[in-house]
Amino acid sequence: MLEFMEYVQQAFYDTTHWDRENSYSQLTATARDLLEFQTPRGFGLSLSSLSSPNFATSYAIGSVGLVDGSLSYLYTSRPLHASSQSGNVELKSVIQGYRQIQELRRRDEAWMWEEWHNGRRIDKRDSLFYGRLYLPQSTLEALYLSRLSPTQQVRLSAVSNSQMKNGATILALHQYDVGKYSAETLYSTDGGLIGVRGLYNFGTDPRKEIREREPPRTEDRFYGRFSAGAEMYYGSLNKSGGVSLGGRFATLPAHSGTPLTATLTLNPLMGNISTTYAVKAGNNLALCSKFDFNVYSYESDLMLGCELWRMKARSPRVRERSMAAKLEWRLDPFEEKATPEPEQVLGVLKARVDQNWKIGLLWEGRVKEILFALGSSIDMKRRDQPFRAIGLELQYSS
Amino acid sequence: MAFNFNWSPLTADAEFYKRAQEMLTTALNKSPKPPIIVDDILVNELNLGTTPPELEILEIGDLAEDRFRGIFKMCYSGDAFLTLKTKVQANPLNTYLFSKPNFTSPNPLAASSGLTIPLQITLSEIKLSAFIILVFSRQKGLTLVFRNDPLESLKVSSTFDSIPFVRDYLQSEIEKQLRTLMMEELPAIIHRLSLRLWCPESGVKEEEERAEADSQEKEEIAINPLDSPPQDAVDARGNVLDASEISSLQLDGSSDTQSLFSQKNLLKLSALTDSHRTLSLFTPSIRDAVFRAWAGPPAERGDTAGSSTPSTPLVRSHSSAPSTSTTYTFNKSSDDGLGHMPSRPSLVSLNSATTGLALGAGRHSRSYMRKKKNRVVNLRRSKTTDDVHSENGESENTEVHVSEPSFSTYIPEEPEDGIVTPPPSPTGRVRFRTNSIDLGDSPRKLRPVRPVLEAAPQMAEAAMSNFSRDNRPSYANALSYPEEKTTKPTAEESSNVQNRPSLQPAPVLIDSSSAGGILEQAWVLKMAGEIARRAHDEKAAREGFWSSQNQAMRAGSPPPAYEPKAL
Repeated sequence: MLEFMEYVQQAFYDTTHWDRENSYSQLTATARDLLEFQTPRGFGLSLSSLSSPNFATSYAIGSVGLVDGSLSYLYTSRPLHASSQSGNVELKSVIQGYRQIQELRRRDEAWMWEEWHNGRRIDKRDSLFYGRLYLPQSTLEALYLSRLSPTQQVRLSAVSNSQMKNGATILALHQYDVGKYSAETLYSTDGGLIGVRGLYNFGTDPRKEIREREPPRTEDRFYGRFSAGAEMYYGSLNKSGGVSLGGRFATLPAHSGTPLTATLTLNPLMGNISTTYAVKAGNNLALCSKFDFNVYSYESDLMLGCELWRMKARSPRVRERSMAAKLEWRLDPFEEKATPEPEQVLGVLKARVDQNWKIGLLWEGRVKEILFALGSSIDMKRRDQPFRAIGLELQYSS
Repeated sequence: MAFNFNWSPLTADAEFYKRAQEMLTTALNKSPKPPIIVDDILVNELNLGTTPPELEILEIGDLAEDRFRGIFKMCYSGDAFLTLKTKVQANPLNTYLFSKPNFTSPNPLAASSGLTIPLQITLSEIKLSAFIILVFSRQKGLTLVFRNDPLESLKVSSTFDSIPFVRDYLQSEIEKQLRTLMMEELPAIIHRLSLRLWCPESGVKEEEERAEADSQEKEEIAINPLDSPPQDAVDARGNVLDASEISSLQLDGSSDTQSLFSQKNLLKLSALTDSHRTLSLFTPSIRDAVFRAWAGPPAERGDTAGSSTPSTPLVRSHSSAPSTSTTYTFNKSSDDGLGHMPSRPSLVSLNSATTGLALGAGRHSRSYMRKKKNRVVNLRRSKTTDDVHSENGESENTEVHVSEPSFSTYIPEEPEDGIVTPPPSPTGRVRFRTNSIDLGDSPRKLRPVRPVLEAAPQMAEAAMSNFSRDNRPSYANALSYPEEKTTKPTAEESSNVQNRPSLQPAPVLIDSSSAGGILEQAWVLKMAGEIARRAHDEKAAREGFWSSQNQAMRAGSPPPAYEPKAL
């Protein structure tokens, strides 16, 4: 489940038309959400509020061993109008599961952001400031997010903690995304890590105006998009690095069959091959598997996961003839609803199991006005105490 | 001082290696491992090599049969090696991300995917140099603490020697890990090990323990090379003074782990509080004082020791053999009586005072009084039988000493004593005293001499002095010397053998003195001189014997295993 502040950041991305999915780091987002979800530990409670469209606060308290907590504040220059009340917020936007890849959108042109007044440009870059202080540990997180242009974004994140080697670390990330491809460069002060990563989407280029756009050929077995990318890191201080390549095929919403996502990532240096395959088997069910293999050490790993959405049972409306119809000795006219009323999500059950019989369970949902996440991680190999962790997190926001 | 390690049995014992490997494995996996190590660390091979470490005794704070505390200096630069097996994370990016906060993580997609490589690390050319504080007690086990960081240098050779980055990293990480192992884990391991060795046996009687001690110590040696220094130290129990401390200091076992100086102080304090029993502070000067007290007749010593701490084997042996010490004392007293009369009175007064006070010893003195009274009765009846009686008394005495704890049995006699006592003359008393005092036979011979040479009152005085001597040792009773224990049987036997023949003349002398004939007196004088000379020679011989005994004991008593220790 997304924390409130992450939810607000998502809202900021949406408001500023930033496609968060179009990045190499999100290539395996579906598998990550289905297989590597975090199970809560201990008890946590957070109270949050988007008190004004520009300002959000959140207070969290938790008990993992000791009682700890955090204070966080967020400010955006762009007013956000997302529904922030936990009673109204859509669970699908808070709980991340199978990610349906959307059609690439044409990016805004730079001139669309320009605002002129009396011959002077008065528009400003949208930016977001975020700070979070963890209290007993005295750890400070800070984030600065700035939309330089419709295709560029800069993200600076920093953590300050006296326990760390240099007291703090800063990560600077510049993202460039034109839809057809995206590129990111990053630098971390920790170890002087320099990184580059890029993603290329095969298929049509959203930048090109296509006059006579053919309707998508949904009769094909698979209608989707193939994306490929690579990343490279080099630690300038410790002379170490890492490389990986990856590809993904995902069906697009117009696909008539079962939505699926398949990825393949390679790490040529370490000889690691990882494949994931996720299927949205039904409206409420998604399945995912992941297989890792290392050609050098012959080690392999298998992980299975699923996600089950529980919908509120829709009581079939008993259609009664209206008095007028009865009087007229006729049936009511068959009213056709343009849009079926949205399903009410009761909760989501996520489960994963790996080859070592480590099981993770997570049940997320909403009770009254409160979002909750109840989870546990179980290790079946340890018969004496299989429950490694169990936790409950509550969120309330207004 | 230095130790010679008996290193070869260690290498020969296969079980030792197995156990040591297990211990090391658990110890290495206990502390949180660096992220590069992704699997348990297994000790694959362990070899202690052929070169033993060098140990140097810097200080011995406490030394006894079941306790030891000391500081050592250890140097090691041998050919021991240790091979570890584990799995390491070969992807530096993976380990890089481990320690970084999630918030600023670059979130690589697959570049951080792990590659675990089985790694074999060989640690060799280990150079250690450390100051070791070692505390051992049978109850608390063995505690070993490194005063400083023992690891001087170490060669780490691994599968990744060709990659300098990995090699350096491994070297530093392993050194770090080893340091914590040495400083924190190893003492715990050794302590646990020693507890396992001694605690199951703690319930069993100490004598059994003693019987098993050698094998146990061997075991202990086998388990850890670092244990061997303590062992040798333990073996050093041949030390003279320490045996006496056992009874008084057993309470202090809890302060094992404290630093030396404070513990010393504690021991001194405890000794002071128990001074009526021990009087033994550990400074040399006080040792001398102890020796003087030793000169006094410790006939009761055996009793007190036996009654107070019957459980300790040492003490028990004492109680069974009080006669030796008594004999020795008596000879001395007789000398004093002859040569150093002036000093007597003061002693007498002092000692009488102490008898009156009667601390722990008062009781014993009283018991002596009772016995004396019995004797007196015997004396009055017939002088000729006196000697026989005295002999009987002597034997009785020894018996009494041994069975002193059975105090109540003599109580019925007391009223009789009360009735009989007033009449007896001082001489009778004197005799009685001597009889009662000496378990050895020499005093009897000397007894006749005194009456001849000196007037009755003087004899009385001498008796008093003897009496005082009896009492005097009471407050120095607990100064039991290990030498006594070891020598006692031989000394006793010798004294008995030597004195028995001379027992017979004694009655004759007494008779003659009572008769008062001149010729007889002259003969008596001559005889007395002769006897005195013989006694003197005897004493000298005995002293020589003592010293030789001591030496022999010192040299011979330590079991062969302890010999290496150069004390």
